[in-house]
Amino acid sequence: MAMVDTGQLRLHVQRMGPRDGRAATATVVLVHGLLTDSLASYYFTVAPAFAASGLDVVMYDLRGHGRSARPSSGYTLDDNIDDLEALLDRLEVTGPVHLVGNSYGGTVAFGYAARHPQRAASVTLIESEPATAAWSVKLGGILRRVLHELAYNETDALTWINAHRGHNTARLAKGAARLARESTLARDIPASRVLTEDRIRAVRCPVLGVYGGDSDLAELVPWLEELLPDCRTVVVPGHEHSVLVEAAGVVGGHILTLIDGVRSAEAVAR
Amino acid sequence: MTHPTATDEDAVLADIAGLLTALLEDEYGLDDVEIGMATTFNRDLELESIDLVTLAGLLEDKYGRQVNFAEFLAGMEFDEIIDLTVGRLVEYVVHSLKAAEAG
Repeated sequence: MAMVDTGQLRLHVQRMGPRDGRAATATVVLVHGLLTDSLASYYFTVAPAFAASGLDVVMYDLRGHGRSARPSSGYTLDDNIDDLEALLDRLEVTGPVHLVGNSYGGTVAFGYAARHPQRAASVTLIESEPATAAWSVKLGGILRRVLHELAYNETDALTWINAHRGHNTARLAKGAARLARESTLARDIPASRVLTEDRIRAVRCPVLGVYGGDSDLAELVPWLEELLPDCRTVVVPGHEHSVLVEAAGVVGGHILTLIDGVRSAEAVAR
Repeated sequence: MTHPTATDEDAVLADIAGLLTALLEDEYGLDDVEIGMATTFNRDLELESIDLVTLAGLLEDKYGRQVNFAEFLAGMEFDEIIDLTVGRLVEYVVHSLKAAEAG
C-alpha cells in the first residue's frame, strides 16, 4: 500500500500504468465521493481500462476516507483541493492532468481546475457539479440528515438500511456515520468557499458531464452547457447517482473519448 | 494445455487464506477466521472494497503481475463482486499462473 505524506497528512495512493513498458501518454487523476466512497470505486471499474489504454492513472483516498489519515478537522472543499495540489507536487506530476471526479470528487476536481487552469487538461464531472451557493445549501441539507438520522441514531438507521438496502450498504453507512460523528466534515463542507459564475466560466479546458438519467443532477445539464466555454454532457438512461460503478464501461468509454480528443487537438496545435 | 489440478488449488487456497488472515488481523484485529473455497469476501469476511484494493497489492507481491485482481473484478457485474467467493479467486489465480507458464 502506497502512503504519500503531503506535509499535512498521509494519503493512500494507488497508481496504474501501461503494463507493456510503454511511456504513459498522459496522466489522469481520479477523485472519489463523500462518506461511503473510496478509490476502490475506480480501482475495480474504469482504472484498469484507462491504464491499458496507455494512461498513467493516479487514484487516492480523500482525507477521512479509505486508508488515508482521518484528522478530526479540516474538511472544507479548499482543504481537499490543498490535499490534491500537495499530492500531485509530491508525486512530481507537473504537467496538465486530466481530472475525473465522482460526486463530491468532481467538485474537488473542478475546484482544482478553477484554481490552476493551466494544470487541467480536462475535467470530467460524474454525477457532480462545481461548488456554487446552491450546491452548498444542498450538501448542507444532506449532511444534516446524515448527522441526525444516521450518525446520532445509528442503531435504528442501520437496521432500516440493512432491511431496505442490504448488508453491504449498511456496512458502508456505518463507516460514514463514524466519520460524520468523529470529524467536522458535516459542518465544514457546507461552510466551504464557493465559486462565482465568472470563476466557473474561467475554466476553459474541455469539461465532460456524465449523469444518470434517473438522477436529479441531470437537471444541471443545460446550466453547465450554457455556462462553460467547452462542455459536453452525456446522460446514461436507467441509472441514478451510482452510474460510475453500475455502468463503468459506458462511463469509462466517454472519458477515454474526451481524453483522446484533447490529445488529438494538442497534436494538431503542435 | 493442462488443467489445474486439485493440488494447485489447495496450494493457492492456502496462500490466499494466509494473505486474508494477515489482512483481517492488521485491519480489524481478527485472528480466528476460517477461510475456505465457499467463503464470501463480503458477507462472511465483511471486507470492504478498499480491503480488496489492499488484497490486490498482496496478490501482486506474491504472484507477480500475471495475477491482476483489478482487471479480474473490473470484468464483473456489481452483484457478482458482492457474491465473490475465495474459491472463485483461487480458480482465477490458478488459471493465470498456468497461462503465464504456458507463455
